[in-house]
Amino acid sequence: MNKDVVIKCDSVSKIFYSSDKGFDVVKNIDLTVFKNEFLVLFGPGQCGKTTLLNIIAGLDMPTSGKVYVNNKEVIGPGPERGVVYQSISLFPWLTTMGNVEFGIKAAGVGKKERRKRAQYYIDLVGLQGFENTYPIKLSGGMKQRVGIARAYCIEPVVMLMDEPFGALDAQTRYLMQKELEIIWGREKRTVVFVTNNIEEALFLADRIVVLNNCPTSIRQEYVIDMPRPREYTGEKFLYLRKEITGNMDKTL
Amino acid sequence: MMNNRYLRVFLKIFSAIISIGAFLLIWHIATNGTKLGELMPGPIELISSLIKSTYTNIGKYTIIGHILFSLSRVLIAFTVGGVIGILLGTAMGWYKTAEAIFRPFYEMIRPIPPIAWISLAILWFGLGEIMKYFVIFLAAFSIITYNAFAGAQAVDPVLIGAAKMLGAKDSRIFRSIVFPSAVPYIFAGLHTAISASWATVVAAEMVRASEGAGWLIIQGMEMNNMIQILIGIIAIGIVGLLLSIIMRGVEAKLCAWSKSGK
Amino acid sequence: MSKNENKGPKKKSKKYILISIASVFLFLFIWWLYTDVFKAVPANALPSPIKVISTFFIKFVETKPEGATMLQHIFSSLQTTLTGYAIGVAVGVPLGICMGWFDKFDMFVRPIFDLLRPIPGIAWIPVMIVFFGIGLMSKAMVIFMTALIACVVNSYSGTKQTLNVHLWVGRTFGASNLEMLFRIAIPSAMPLILTGLRVALAASWSALVAAELLASNRGLGFMIQQCRVIGRPDVIIAGMITIGGVGALLTYLLKLLEKLLLKGRKNI
Repeated sequence: MNKDVVIKCDSVSKIFYSSDKGFDVVKNIDLTVFKNEFLVLFGPGQCGKTTLLNIIAGLDMPTSGKVYVNNKEVIGPGPERGVVYQSISLFPWLTTMGNVEFGIKAAGVGKKERRKRAQYYIDLVGLQGFENTYPIKLSGGMKQRVGIARAYCIEPVVMLMDEPFGALDAQTRYLMQKELEIIWGREKRTVVFVTNNIEEALFLADRIVVLNNCPTSIRQEYVIDMPRPREYTGEKFLYLRKEITGNMDKTL
Repeated sequence: MMNNRYLRVFLKIFSAIISIGAFLLIWHIATNGTKLGELMPGPIELISSLIKSTYTNIGKYTIIGHILFSLSRVLIAFTVGGVIGILLGTAMGWYKTAEAIFRPFYEMIRPIPPIAWISLAILWFGLGEIMKYFVIFLAAFSIITYNAFAGAQAVDPVLIGAAKMLGAKDSRIFRSIVFPSAVPYIFAGLHTAISASWATVVAAEMVRASEGAGWLIIQGMEMNNMIQILIGIIAIGIVGLLLSIIMRGVEAKLCAWSKSGK
Repeated sequence: MSKNENKGPKKKSKKYILISIASVFLFLFIWWLYTDVFKAVPANALPSPIKVISTFFIKFVETKPEGATMLQHIFSSLQTTLTGYAIGVAVGVPLGICMGWFDKFDMFVRPIFDLLRPIPGIAWIPVMIVFFGIGLMSKAMVIFMTALIACVVNSYSGTKQTLNVHLWVGRTFGASNLEMLFRIAIPSAMPLILTGLRVALAASWSALVAAELLASNRGLGFMIQQCRVIGRPDVIIAGMITIGGVGALLTYLLKLLEKLLLKGRKNI
């Protein structure tokens, strides 16, 4: 694997203040993500994973520490980082096409080019035929495909995914995991993927970073070198599943 | 960053003082010895008159007396309208026969502003108190009925299914499930209705009364007394705000179970 | 509108429609018995339903007793209402949006708005009459105040309710503050803005009636006020039906607009 460093977190901490008390939400995260790597941040609870992702995205500033993307310090959001959220993040007043082309429209890309590019990514996620459908008419899985296409469409170097399949039912979730692996296989990006589902982590990850709950800090790292596509019931899969689950932070 | 919240509260109060101060200052300058000043009193004159009016009579009563008159009209009619509205609304929401019988009339009456009933009410009940009660009653009643109806219809079918499975009778389900589930809607309705009733009493008193907040401002108009009009408006605004705050407080207390978190 | 309609089997809903029709007819029948047959109430308090209906139609061509046909009154009332309402919307919606979006603007404008907010629009009638006389302007200003408050309140909370995650999406795409306002916050607020327009119009129509009762020489409120003085309840009731009907029609038109502008957002 090409070991170009794309994201580097340098002892990132975040403290939230409410009136006079401070809460450690993220503590001393040192993290390196390599080019085209699929990194999964895996951990229970809902303490600071989203915050950590938002810090990398540049939506939130760390209290201390620094984040570099492509050797440039992150001081705000930028088009080289695309983010996929849970399903509520689609704009309900825009069609699939409107949502997907939102980012490049803001960047000032002309209409013809915009349509062409958006169409490419709509096709990539398998939503051809739904270009003019509004989000409310789409199923949960389809909404997430739109979300993925929207993030892809600005052609970012890094994709940040915050529990994108968290709101889906179990069946759809499996399907979307497979689908995402295929999409990522065709359009390689550096991905940071947050989840609390161990199967999802093992199915998708090149490397899993297990996080402690509160404050969010790094507990352990596992390099997952199973060949793709993986079997949820493969021997090594089950072994790692047991191993990692056993090593999870159980405090909630 | 440390004391973010205190800083915010401080900034809020600070900006409020500045903006209201600026407002009063502009008002003062605009009315001080200008053409507008002949029509409009300045803020200082107005505030001193407002204070004076709490112990000097305007017409038969002090301003407090007028307000109490209006309030008593509202409370009587609002209570009657509330009770009937809640009963009718929830009944229409749960019993389809009740809905079939009453809904057509309700839908016919609803788009007519209560104020438009004043003329007819005068013909029916004369110029006295009943006429005012009737109009305020309509204002409260139509809003509360609507909310109670919507509340009873929005009851969670799972709860009804569970009750039916446990062998509860229709009337029992109505009392112990439909009615309580409609309570948050009813309170939202009461909140809107109290404001509407307050506006309606002012209108009714403007059309015909010899005391009350509405009379105060309409009499001010007839006497070309802008100070009296503005004092009346301020009093109406303050009472309206208080009524709304009280309703919100009651609502927050009684419907605490229906609000998640925060 | 009723959820019950699609619940039970069709036969049952037919039964309820019959009950509704029967109940309306029974009401009209009793009304007719009391007035036309038994003459139990004086005709200058409650006319018979037949008289009301005939008056309603006659009023469309007849100017008696108060000097204008129904259509002239409707036109006059609508003109006043829509003038005040249009200004109220034009000022209120942008003001509410700006207050909701620009924190610093909000900090200074909100205290003054909070002072005005609890005052019912109709309480301004005497002030406006003193300033502008009893013409169109004074009533339009009362309606302006009424519409303004509903528009500001709803646009404000609509803008404030913009989801954080939508704003995050906008920021990751590098949208500027103004772009976020126009392309995320305002579309987010649109349903509530439209609700505000509807609430404001209903309130305006009601305020108009109050203003016309007190000071005017034309319009539906004027008509029912005059007919009260000369004891013509048939015209009053016909007028009330018209007021209700026009109000319902206005609300309906705004609902159509809402459907048009929010198409796709609601599962129909």
